[in-house]
Amino acid sequence: MNLDAVTSPGRPWLTGMREAIPLLGGYVPVAISFGLIATQAGFTPWEAVVISTLVYAGASQFLFVGMVAAGAPLWLVVAMTLLINLRHVVYAPNLAPWLTPSRAWPWLMHGLTDQVFALAHARLPELPAAQRLGWFGGAALLAWASWVGGTALGALAGGELVARWALMGEILPFALPALFLVLVAPRFTSRRWALALSLTILVALALTILGFTNLAIPLAAACGALCFQVVKFGPARQEHAKGDRHE
Amino acid sequence: MSSALWIAVLASAVGTLLMRVLPLLWMQRRLERLGDDDGLEAMPQWLSLLGPVMIAAVFGVSLMPVTPGLLSWIATAIGVLATLAVWWVKRTLGWPVAAGVAAYGAVVMLTALVGPLP
Repeated sequence: MNLDAVTSPGRPWLTGMREAIPLLGGYVPVAISFGLIATQAGFTPWEAVVISTLVYAGASQFLFVGMVAAGAPLWLVVAMTLLINLRHVVYAPNLAPWLTPSRAWPWLMHGLTDQVFALAHARLPELPAAQRLGWFGGAALLAWASWVGGTALGALAGGELVARWALMGEILPFALPALFLVLVAPRFTSRRWALALSLTILVALALTILGFTNLAIPLAAACGALCFQVVKFGPARQEHAKGDRHE
Repeated sequence: MSSALWIAVLASAVGTLLMRVLPLLWMQRRLERLGDDDGLEAMPQWLSLLGPVMIAAVFGVSLMPVTPGLLSWIATAIGVLATLAVWWVKRTLGWPVAAGVAAYGAVVMLTALVGPLP
C-alpha cells in the first residue's frame, strides 16, 4: 500500500508521527472520557494520568476504575484488567520479522496498542529496515502522548469539554474505523481471505452491539482464523496463509 | 489512592507490559534459532494468520457508533463507503480517512441541524 506521507530518510520518527495522526481522532475523545470517568469515580486527575501513562490500555482502564469504584476486590480488578489485555500477546510476534536489532524494541512495546499494531503491521514491511525503529517510536509516542494528554484534559475539564463540543466527540472517533478499513482493505486478496475477514468483521460488530466489547476482538479473530483454515475454494484456487502474508 | 490501590495499578501495568514484551522476546529467539533468512517462514502459520484477522476484528469493534441509533448507523455506512471509494481511487492512507470522517461528520451535523427523524 502506498501512503500519502513520503518517508523522509533522515526523520522517520516524523513520518511515524504524521501517519499516526488519524489515531488521535479516536484516542483523544476516549481519553477525555476516561479522565472524566476516573475523576467521577473518586480518582484525582494526577492518579488518572498515572493510570493512563502506566497501564495504557483503553478498555481495561475503564474496567479498572469502574471495578474499583464499585468496591471489587483488588486481586479481581487486576485479574480482569490482565484478562482483557490478553489479546496483546499475539501482536508483537506478528511484527517481529520486521524488527531490527535494537534494545529499544522491548521498551517500545509499551506503546503496542490495538491501533498501533494495526498501523505498524501494514507499514513496517514497507519501510527500509533503517527507518523502522524511528517510525515506530514516532507513531507510538504520539499515540501514547495523545492518550495521556487526553486523560489529563478529561480529568481537569472533561465535563465542560463534553458539554461544549459534544458533536466533535461523536464525529472524530470515526477516524478509527476509517483508518482500520484502509488497513484491512488491501488484505482482501482472495475469496478465502475475503470470507474470513468479512466474517471476523461481522462477528466483532455483532458482539460489540450485544455488549461483549471486551470479548469481541479475540472471539471474532478466532472465528475468522477458523474460517480461513476450514473453508477452501478447491485445489486450483487454494491459497495458503504463508503465501498471502507477503502481500 | 491507598497503597493497595497503587500496587494494583502497578501490577496491571507490569502485567500488560509483559504481555506485550514476552511474546516478542519468544519470537525473536525463535527467529534466531531458525535463522533469519526469511523471518516470515519462521513464523508459525497460526500466528501469521492472526495478524490480519485481529486488525479486521478491531475494525469491526470500532464500527460501533459513539451514540448508536438509526442515523448514526446511516452515517457510519456513508462514512465507510466514502472511505472505501477514496481508497479505491487513491490507494493511500490519509485521504480515505479524511474523506470518511468528513462524510460521517457531514451526515451527523446535517442531522443535528434538521433534527431527529420522527
